[in-house]
Amino acid sequence: MTPILDIAGYSLDYATPAGFTRALDAVTLAVAKGEVLGLVGESGSGKTSLAWAIMRHLPESAREAGRIRLVDKELTTTSEAEIEAIRGRRIGMVFQDPSTSLNPTLPLGEQLAEVLEHHRGLTRKQAWAEGEAMLARVGLKVPAEMMRRYPHEASGGEKQRVVIATAFACQPECIIFDEPTTALDVITARQILDLFGELQAETGVASLYISHDLALVSRVANRVAVIHRGRIVEQGKVEEVFASPQDAYTQKLLAAVPRPDHRLIEAGPGPEAKVLVEVDKVSVRYGRKPFLAKLLGRENTQFTGNRDVSLSVREGEILGIVGESGSGKSTLARALTGLNPFEGEIRFAGRPIGGLKDMDRAYRRDVQIIFQHPDSSLNPRQRIREILSRPLALYGTVEQREDAKAIGELLEQVRLPAAYAERYPHQLSGGEKQRVAIARAFASRPKLVICDEITSALDVSVQASVVELLVDLQKRFGTAYLFITHDLNLVRQIAHRIAVMYRGDLVDLVDVADLSGGQVHAYTRSLIEAVPAPAAPASELPRI
Amino acid sequence: MSPAYILKRIVLVGYTLLVVSLIVFAITQILPADAAVMMLGENATAEALSALRAKMGLDASIWAQYGHWLAGVLRGDFGVSMRTGQPVGPVMMEALGRSLLLALFSIVLMLVLALPLGIIAAVRRGRIADLLVSVISYIGVSLPEFVTATLVVLVLADWLQWLPATGYVPLTENPLQGLRHLVLPVLTISVILIAHVSRMVRSELVDVLHTDYVRAARLKGLPKRTVLYKHALRNALLPTITIVALDIGYLLGGVIVVEEIFALPGIGRQLIVAIQSRDLPSIQAGALIMAATYAIASFLADIAYARLDRRIQYD
Amino acid sequence: MIELLRRVLRSPQGALGLVLVGLILLVVILGPWIAPYDPESLAPLQRYKPPSALFWLGTDQYGRDILSRLLHGARATVVMAVFATALGTLAGAVIGTISAFLGGRSDEAIMRTVDAVMAIPSLLLALLIVNLLGKSSWNALLAIAIAFTPGMARVTRSVALAVRKQDYVNAAIARGESARFIVWREMLPNVVAPIIVEMTIRVAFAVMLFATLSFLGLGAQPPASEWGLMVAEARRFMHLSPWMILWPSLAVAFVAIGFNLLGDGLRDALNPRT
Repeated sequence: MTPILDIAGYSLDYATPAGFTRALDAVTLAVAKGEVLGLVGESGSGKTSLAWAIMRHLPESAREAGRIRLVDKELTTTSEAEIEAIRGRRIGMVFQDPSTSLNPTLPLGEQLAEVLEHHRGLTRKQAWAEGEAMLARVGLKVPAEMMRRYPHEASGGEKQRVVIATAFACQPECIIFDEPTTALDVITARQILDLFGELQAETGVASLYISHDLALVSRVANRVAVIHRGRIVEQGKVEEVFASPQDAYTQKLLAAVPRPDHRLIEAGPGPEAKVLVEVDKVSVRYGRKPFLAKLLGRENTQFTGNRDVSLSVREGEILGIVGESGSGKSTLARALTGLNPFEGEIRFAGRPIGGLKDMDRAYRRDVQIIFQHPDSSLNPRQRIREILSRPLALYGTVEQREDAKAIGELLEQVRLPAAYAERYPHQLSGGEKQRVAIARAFASRPKLVICDEITSALDVSVQASVVELLVDLQKRFGTAYLFITHDLNLVRQIAHRIAVMYRGDLVDLVDVADLSGGQVHAYTRSLIEAVPAPAAPASELPRI
Repeated sequence: MSPAYILKRIVLVGYTLLVVSLIVFAITQILPADAAVMMLGENATAEALSALRAKMGLDASIWAQYGHWLAGVLRGDFGVSMRTGQPVGPVMMEALGRSLLLALFSIVLMLVLALPLGIIAAVRRGRIADLLVSVISYIGVSLPEFVTATLVVLVLADWLQWLPATGYVPLTENPLQGLRHLVLPVLTISVILIAHVSRMVRSELVDVLHTDYVRAARLKGLPKRTVLYKHALRNALLPTITIVALDIGYLLGGVIVVEEIFALPGIGRQLIVAIQSRDLPSIQAGALIMAATYAIASFLADIAYARLDRRIQYD
Repeated sequence: MIELLRRVLRSPQGALGLVLVGLILLVVILGPWIAPYDPESLAPLQRYKPPSALFWLGTDQYGRDILSRLLHGARATVVMAVFATALGTLAGAVIGTISAFLGGRSDEAIMRTVDAVMAIPSLLLALLIVNLLGKSSWNALLAIAIAFTPGMARVTRSVALAVRKQDYVNAAIARGESARFIVWREMLPNVVAPIIVEMTIRVAFAVMLFATLSFLGLGAQPPASEWGLMVAEARRFMHLSPWMILWPSLAVAFVAIGFNLLGDGLRDALNPRT
């Protein structure tokens, strides 16, 4: 069968003041009709550059070699005007984040209809009628109303459906999906994936599915290509690549994917272990009553972050907290560290903590927090040395404070070279910055470390090494963790117990072993079902 | 846009005017000028002075005087000029009309020039056109009105003799002569505005052109022009509305200088005369009317913004 | 500091701005010494001379050398503007920081009042204040400082609030750092940079405002060689000898351009992530 999209020996360089940097190196791949090719790579691997190259959306600094062919059309030499006629009509694209890829000041319908008007020459009225039918087809309940809505009036899932409808609008031969579910919540992402499967089967469009998520690609693609530093290091049938990866990088990537059945920690502390922290009916409310609303007798618009949350962590235990964005999991972390006022009570090692004023030196030393984005949590104007010296100055021993090597030791503890002490945060990579944040948290030898989504901004392989580091530190110091994440597979690897939060409520608190099979809340069940099974060696994964 | 939003903005305009009235009154009342002495002259008898003070209410407490003045202002009565003996209100309002005409022409000229300049610079970023617009706007924002006025008078009135250097002819009397007299003042005021707004349009548009939704529109196959005018410009101009509203405050300051230089009898000129002759009621009225103009302009800008950007509902 | 200079020099605006402001500072410091003539000595025989080898920029209605007057006047114009801006920035920073720190209703009340004050055009506010205090350079300086205060309060507050939301501040709070440490070591270094940028650009504005006040006869008084005053005095002779009005006008514009460019260059240079 002749491929729809055929890329051969394609290389791409960007001109920089320091010379050319290579983004893509002799990429060769093809997608046939009805096929889904998964393109897997980490950030900076060149996967997005390839998408831009196919869409002919390259900066002026780009230098190319090789060819990109759409059926019979050589795209690299096609004129701008012809490309405009091909984009959106013969090749569609679905973008990563629907909240940024839709124009905030135009109605959703307009953004769909304009494509129909432009490419298919429909009148405005026809285009809107057709658009409405399309929205119905992508599973939107009230298509006519959705056409008139503005992006801020629709949910993330609804918006992504509109984007997908736009991509399919002109029945293109090929569609590029650029991480279409990454910005969505787990359950929404699953629904979008199902929609993708349906539409793909129905239209037989040649799909290039770009993702960093191996587990996900293993479920949606027929074939997979692994890209690393601009080169396709391995390509083949999904089952074959995952069952017996040939390239070292693929092997490493596969090993880094979190698998619930692959536990990274030993059994948790038994019931005889002492309870370290108890959260007793803690509620957090955000915002203040607006003055005018009160005046006009409107409803209180205060927003509830947590509602009567109760849980406990034993010494040396890892408690995972999962939930989608806005479920209140970070709010709890902030309450525990005195960043949010709360109602209810927290007991730490038996001591009652009713509020901010009870969080004394000892509590601050024993409870540490690590944030999601190290870019924000490390002061950009301080050297690593100064950043790490603060917990030592506050809680370190006299020897530590006077020992010039103490900072270096903290760095080595998180497997960074001691010489990094003299650098600024922006001189480090994302993973390295997060290690510095970990070192800072562990400097005071805390009893509880709260990890708030600390790996979600990192690549899979970096995430794996950070998690490994955390597990090591836990073994060494017996620290208890409150591990907050949206990644169910990851938390099943390293937590002893898992708490599930939904819209401010704690809906479940179960032992990891009881998660699948045991008595769990309906929401927890849908969460488990929504998560794509990881790319296990088992090749008989259910396919979409 | 909810009624609550509009109501809140109106309350804010009221608060602004209250604060301004307090400041203006405080500043003018501490002015080391005895109104009675000014009216009757240095040689007036003590009895005559105190009689006049009593008549003008100057012997009452400061707060009583403020209350009296404010009550008058709310009725539209700004008092009587100490210089001419005429009621201040009508004189100032008439002067305001002339100034608004000047401002209106300047804003129109600014929009006609600043938008295209900003758009060209943003679209041709890093090219000669961008550099040129950038140089022009750096020079433009760095020229105080009195310098610009000097230059345009030197060139257009003195050397080329195209236009009259000073004076004012009402448009109703002789439209052509009236317009000829307005050209130099309008040019002078617009220079800074054009420079500032074109820079803002450029930087907003550059940002918007880098957004995902503009790229998405291009990748849907829409032509460059459609993407620029339908998708990008709309979003880039929204913040510019706020900038223009803020610039109106600046424009009103510029009006003072320009009217003085070109002998244009607007509110700015009235204010300068009032300040130089320490005519308290005129100063108070002029300053309050200027601040009110600004407050109303920014109120309208807020409403326009909220109409155009559906995301803004309350704050 | 050297690192900062290097970064400023990297952008064309920064490099040009630095050169211009450097030149201006040289003139401010050395002006009186390098001036060829006494700026106030009258020479009835040398009146209205056009630029020549003897008088590079010509002479004025009293036969005073314009170049010498400009060189002397640099101090009156530039130093005053810098002081006025610094004073206004300081006052604004205090108000803005307090407002951001208090938060809630107090913050709203303070900021609404600041907005209200900003409804009076800066020039008008300065005019009213000078008129209240009396015509003089120092009063003009004070008036400009007061006129700048609300704007700087707004800028400071928004920067402080943005920094306050950063996780490194949260981390410091969670770590149990003292309020003093958080404000001085974590927040201040990040707040100061954008304020310095804003301040530099405002010096340009202050130079213009100060010259305008003098031009209107409310700032520096004769026989001072303040540039705005020189323009005002030269207006009567504009038709006769245009260079008299041209040179001081251009000098004001030159200074304003220099500080505007430097401000933009600093903005890029002080961003720690570029």
